[in-house]
Amino acid sequence: MEPAEIIQHSGGVIGASWLMIALPLLGAAVLLLGGRKTDKFGHLLGVAMAVASFVVAALAFIQLLGFAPGERRRGVELYDLIPGIAKVGLLVDPLSISFCLLITFVGSLIHIYSIGYMAHDPARRRFFAYLNLFVAAMLVLVLADNYLGLYVGWEGVGLASYLLIGFWQHKPTAATAAKKAFIVNRVGDFGLSIGIFTIFATFHSLSYQGVAEGMAKGGSIPATAIGLLLLLGACGKSAQLPLQSWLLDAMEGPTPVSALIHAATMVTAGVYLVVRSGPIFQATDTAQLVVTIVGVATLLAGAIIGTAKDDIKKALAGSTMSQIGYMMLAAGIGPAGYAFAIAHLITHGFFKADMFLGAGSVMHGMNDEVNMRKYGGLRKVMPITFVTFFIGYLAIIGFPLLSGYFTKDGIIETAMEHNAILGWLAVLGAGITGFYMSRLVFMTFFGKKRWEADAHPHESPAVMTWPLIILSIGAIVLGAFLILGNRFMLFLSPAVGRPEELPSFHPFSTTGLATLALVAVGVVFAWYRYGSAEVPGVAPRGSFLTAFARRDLYGDALNEALLMRPGQWLTRLAVYFDNRGVDGLVNSLAALIGGSSGRLRRIQTGYVRSYALSIFVGAAVLVGAWFVVGNL
Amino acid sequence: MHIVYPVVVSALLFSIGVYGVLARRNAILVLMSVELMLNAVNLNLVAFDVWLRDRLHGGQVLTLFVIVIAAAEIGLGLAIVLAVYRNRQSIDVDRLRDLSETGASEEAGPPEEPVGVGEDADREARP
Amino acid sequence: MNGTIQAPTLEYAQLAPMLVVFGAAIVGVLVEAFAPRYLRSAIHVPITLLSLAGAFALTIWQVVKGVPTKPAAMGAVAVDGPSLFIWGTILVLAFVSVLLINDEDHFVAAAAAVPGSAEEEQALHEGAGHTEVYPLALFAVGGMLLFPASNDLLVMFVALEVMSLPLYLLCGLARRRRLLSQEAAVKYFLLGAFSSAFFLYGTALLYGYAGSIDLAKISAALGVVGGQETLLYIGVAMLGVGLLFKIGAAPFQAWKPDVYQGAPTPITALMASGTLVAAFGALLRVFWVALGGLDWNWSPVLWAVAILTMVVGAILAITQTDIKRMLAYSSIAHGGFLLVGVVATGAAAGQNSKALSAILFYLVAYGFTTVGAFAVVTMVRDAGGEAWHLSRWAGLGKRSPLLAGIFAFFLLAFAGIPLTSGFFGKYAVFQAAVAGGATPLVIVGVVASAVAAFFYVRVIVLMFFSDPAADGPSVVLPSRGTAAVVGVAVLATVFLGVFPQPVLHLAQNAAQSLFIR
Repeated sequence: MEPAEIIQHSGGVIGASWLMIALPLLGAAVLLLGGRKTDKFGHLLGVAMAVASFVVAALAFIQLLGFAPGERRRGVELYDLIPGIAKVGLLVDPLSISFCLLITFVGSLIHIYSIGYMAHDPARRRFFAYLNLFVAAMLVLVLADNYLGLYVGWEGVGLASYLLIGFWQHKPTAATAAKKAFIVNRVGDFGLSIGIFTIFATFHSLSYQGVAEGMAKGGSIPATAIGLLLLLGACGKSAQLPLQSWLLDAMEGPTPVSALIHAATMVTAGVYLVVRSGPIFQATDTAQLVVTIVGVATLLAGAIIGTAKDDIKKALAGSTMSQIGYMMLAAGIGPAGYAFAIAHLITHGFFKADMFLGAGSVMHGMNDEVNMRKYGGLRKVMPITFVTFFIGYLAIIGFPLLSGYFTKDGIIETAMEHNAILGWLAVLGAGITGFYMSRLVFMTFFGKKRWEADAHPHESPAVMTWPLIILSIGAIVLGAFLILGNRFMLFLSPAVGRPEELPSFHPFSTTGLATLALVAVGVVFAWYRYGSAEVPGVAPRGSFLTAFARRDLYGDALNEALLMRPGQWLTRLAVYFDNRGVDGLVNSLAALIGGSSGRLRRIQTGYVRSYALSIFVGAAVLVGAWFVVGNL
Repeated sequence: MHIVYPVVVSALLFSIGVYGVLARRNAILVLMSVELMLNAVNLNLVAFDVWLRDRLHGGQVLTLFVIVIAAAEIGLGLAIVLAVYRNRQSIDVDRLRDLSETGASEEAGPPEEPVGVGEDADREARP
Repeated sequence: MNGTIQAPTLEYAQLAPMLVVFGAAIVGVLVEAFAPRYLRSAIHVPITLLSLAGAFALTIWQVVKGVPTKPAAMGAVAVDGPSLFIWGTILVLAFVSVLLINDEDHFVAAAAAVPGSAEEEQALHEGAGHTEVYPLALFAVGGMLLFPASNDLLVMFVALEVMSLPLYLLCGLARRRRLLSQEAAVKYFLLGAFSSAFFLYGTALLYGYAGSIDLAKISAALGVVGGQETLLYIGVAMLGVGLLFKIGAAPFQAWKPDVYQGAPTPITALMASGTLVAAFGALLRVFWVALGGLDWNWSPVLWAVAILTMVVGAILAITQTDIKRMLAYSSIAHGGFLLVGVVATGAAAGQNSKALSAILFYLVAYGFTTVGAFAVVTMVRDAGGEAWHLSRWAGLGKRSPLLAGIFAFFLLAFAGIPLTSGFFGKYAVFQAAVAGGATPLVIVGVVASAVAAFFYVRVIVLMFFSDPAADGPSVVLPSRGTAAVVGVAVLATVFLGVFPQPVLHLAQNAAQSLFIR
C-alpha cells in the first residue's frame, strides 16, 4: 500500500503545531539570555516548556486521530522563505507525531529527573537551557516537511549534543568526547548534505512531497547514490558502523543526557531518516541491502562491545548501538519493517531511558562510580531503582509479554522472512543481548557488595524515581499495545505505506522459540559467570575475544588506521599545499586587496578640490563613454 | 542668430566655472564659480527656449527657478563659509583636510600636494 | 501666446503626504520665529513626529485607495506604485532618524559661536539648542519625498536642492568635533553644488534636445528627433553625474566618507538611509521613464559604474580604522550592489518589475540596518564624544555584550548572512540581475560581497575576541528614543530576514505598476 497524499491543513492544534518547537526554544532563549536572574526558577521553566510541548503534541495527536486514516497526513505551511525554492512548513503525520510524542513525553520525564540529578550542579540552569534547545531541535528534525528543515534540526541536535556531552568542560575527557562526537558526526553530515544537494538537483524540490512525486514520475534518478549518502548521514547520527565510535565516549555527558539524547531520541534520527526517505530507498535494492547489512553488523558489534564493558554506561551505550542496529535492519527491509522499526524505536526509547536513568540513580547513590566491578548487591539498598531497572532489563532481552518481546521479535521474524542469514544473525544478537544485559544486572544488583570504602548507597529522591516508575510501566505495556492486532502498523501506514499482507503474531513460531532459547542460554551463562560466582574487583586479562570487545572491537584503532592516519597525512599534505599554494594565494590576495586598498586610499586626500576634480573627470569619462557606446 | 553661438558661449562659461571650482582655494571664489556654472546653464536654457519656440516657455520658467535656488544656495554657502572662518580664521579650502584617509589613519606621512589644476595660478588667492 | 492663463489643477489628495511634511516644516519655521526659546523643543518634536506619522498614514491611505495611474499636478509629480513604496520607506526611516536627532545633545548650542568662547558657554548655560534642526530635517525629508516622485526635470532639480540644502547645514551642526563637522558641511556643500550644476547643465541640454523637460516627452522624443545626438549624450551623462553623486557611486563617491564621518551621527543616519532611498528612486525614474528607450545605451556605462562602485567601496573599507568611515564605504559598496539591480532593469516588463521589486526590498532592508548601526555608534562614547576609532571598540563584547551583539548582528546583515534582511536583499537583486543576463556583474558583486564580509567580520572579531582597552569607551545608557531606534532596526532586520515574504510581496505589488510614463 502506498503512502497517502499530504493534505494542506490550517487551524486547530495541528495548525499550531509549531508551538511544540517554539515553546522549548523560547525556554532555551530565556534561560540562555536571562543569565543568573533565572537561576532560581530555570529548571522549573525548562520542565514547564517540555511538558507544554508534550501537551501540544498530545492534543495534535488527538486531533489527528479524528481524521480518517487516509487523511492523516497534514501539511502545515508556515511561510515562503525563498519563493519557489524553500517553503517553511511542517508535516504532521502518524510517523512524525509518533516521534513527537516520544520526544516530548520521555523528554519531559528526563527533564523532571534532571531536577534531582543536577540539583547540586552550579550550572543547572544552563543544563536545562541546552535540554530545551535539544528538544526544540529534535522536533524541528521530525516535524519539518522537507529535507532542508530536517537538516536544520539535524545540525541543531548535533549542536545540543555537543554542548551536553561537553557539559562538564572541566573534565578533559568530556571535552575530548564532545569534540569526537562532533567530528565523527561531520563525516555523516557531509554525506547527508551531499545527499540533499543531489536530491535538489534531481527533483528540484526538497519537500518529501516533491521527492515522492518525483520518484513516482520516474526517469533517471540516482536513487542508489542518494540512498547511500543519506545512509552515511544516518550512520553518523545513529552511531552505526563504521561511524559508531563516538557514542561510547559520549557517555562522558551527564546521565540524563545519555538517556535522552544518546539512547531514546537523537541517535534514532538515522532510523527516522531512512524511514522518511522510504520512496527513495524502496527504489534501490542496493541501498536497502546496505542498510540491512549495516544494521546487522552494528547490532552484533554493539552487543559484543556490551559484553566486555565494566563501565555501566558504556555497556548500556553498546546496547543502544545494538538495538538501533535492529531498527536499521528493519528500516532497510522496507514497508514490511517500518512499523517494527519505529515500534521498537519507541519501546526502546522507554526501556533504555529507564535503564539509563536507573544507572544514573545508581551512580547518584555511589558517588558517581561507574565501574560495575565496584557495585554488587545493590537491590537491597535501592529497591525502586532495582525493580524499575529489572523491568527494563526484562524488556530488552525480550522476556515474554514485555515490550521488547513483541517489537524485537517482530523485527527478527520480518528479517527472517526477508533473508534467512540476516534473520539468524539477528537471533544470535538477541542471545548475546541476553548475556550482556544479564551480566550488567547481576554485577550491579546481585552478588556480594564490592563497594568502595566511602560509598553509602541510598535510594534516590522521589523526583528521580517517579520518572523511572512511569518509564518502566511503558516498558511493560507498550510493546503489546503497539504490536498486537497490528495496531501500530495500521496507524503508521498512511505515512510510510505497509505490505499488502498484514503480518500476524505467532507466539510459538520457530524463530521466536529459537530466540527465547538462545536468550535463556545467555542469561544462564551470565548467571554462572557473574551471578553465582565471585566477580573479581579488577578485570581479568581475558581471552583475545574479550580484549577485542573491550577495545570497542578496535573501532578506534580502525578509525585511526583507516581514517585518522590518512586524514592526518592528507591534512599534512593539505597544510603543505595550503602554505605553499592556497595560503600563498590567499595571502597574496589579501595583500593585493590590502595593498590596493592602501593605494586607493590615496585618492581620498581630503582636498575638496581633488574630489571636485574626480567628479569632473568622472563626468568627462561618462560623456566619452556615452559617445563611444552611442556610436557603436 | 544661430543656436550654436549661445550654446558655445554658455559651454565656455560653464567650463570657466568648472575651472574656477577646481583651481581656486578661496571658498568664496569657489562659490562664485559655482554661480557661474549655474548662470551658464541659465543662458543655455533661455537660448534653447527661444530657439525651440517653446509655447510653454519651459526653459524660461526653469531659469527663474534656478535663479531663486541659486540665491538660496549662495546664502547657505556663505553661512557655512562664515562659520568655518570664525573657527579657523581661514577660508582656504585646501586647509580643510582633517577628514581624509591620511588624517584618519594616523600614519601621517608627508602631506600630499592637492591634485588640482593650476595650483600655482592662484597662489595670490591665499588669504 | 496671449490670453488667459489656465489655473493648474492640483490633486491635493495624491500630494497630501508631501504637503503635510512641507506644511509642518513651515510651521516649524514659524515656531522658531515666535515661540519662546524654552518651549521650542517641546513644540517641535511632536509636530515633527506627528507630521511624519501623518504623512505615512496618508501614504498608506493612498495605497489602500488604489494607486493612481496618472501623474498629478499637471504631470509634474508622479504618485505611482514605486513612489508610494519609497515614500513609505523614507517616512519610516525619517521618523526613526528624528527619534535619534531628538535623543541627545548631538547638536551645537550656537552654531555661530566659536567653540570654547564665552558666547558658546553662555548659550550652553542657557540650554540653548539649535531647534532649527527639526524644520530643517522636515524640509530635507520633503525633498526626499519629492525627488523620486518628480516627473519632470524642473521639479526634480527643485527637489534635489530642497533635499540637499538643509542637509548641508545639518552636517555642520555637530556639538563635538565642531571643526570636523563644519569641514564636512563645506565639502558636502561645495561638491553638492558642483554636481547639481552638472545635473542642471544636463537638464538644459536634454531640454534643448527634446524641447521639453517632461520625462515622458523626453522619452517620446528619443526616436523622433534626429541629428542632435551630441546634445542627448552630453545631457544624459551630465544628468547621470548629478544622480550618481547623490548615490555615492564611483567615481563620484569621494564626498561620502568625509561627510559621513564629520556629520552629526543622527544626520549621517538620515543621509545614509533616506537620501540613498530617494536618490535611487529618482535614478530609476529617470533611467526608466525618460531613457527607457536608450537602455542598450546606458546599461554598459552603468555596468562599469556598478563594478567600480562595488570594488572601490569594498576595497577601501578594508583599511578603515574609523567606524563611521567604514560604514560610509560600506554604504558605497551597497550602492554598487543596488546599481546591479538597476542594470538588471531593461527589456521586458516582467524583468523590470522583478528588478524593481528587488531594489525596493533591498532599500528597505539596508535603510533599517544602517539606521540601527549608526544608532549604536551614537551610544559608544569616549570623553570627547563618540568613540569612532575602531581600536576603541576592541573588547566591547566583553564590556557590553548586548550592544556588541546587536552591532555584530547589523554587520552580519550588511554582509548578507542568511536569516538577516541583507541576505534576501542581495539574493533578490542578484537573482534579478542573473535573470536579466548580467551574470558577470553578479560574479563581481559576489566577490565584492566576500571582500566586504571580511571587514564586517573583522569588526566582530575585534569586538568579541580582543581584550578591552583599560580606558575603553563607555556605553551610555540609551535614552528611550535611541533604544526604540535600535529595537526597531533589530526587529526589522530579523523580520525581513526570517519573514521576507510580506515586504517582498509589497515591493512586488508596488513594482507591478512600474513607473508611470
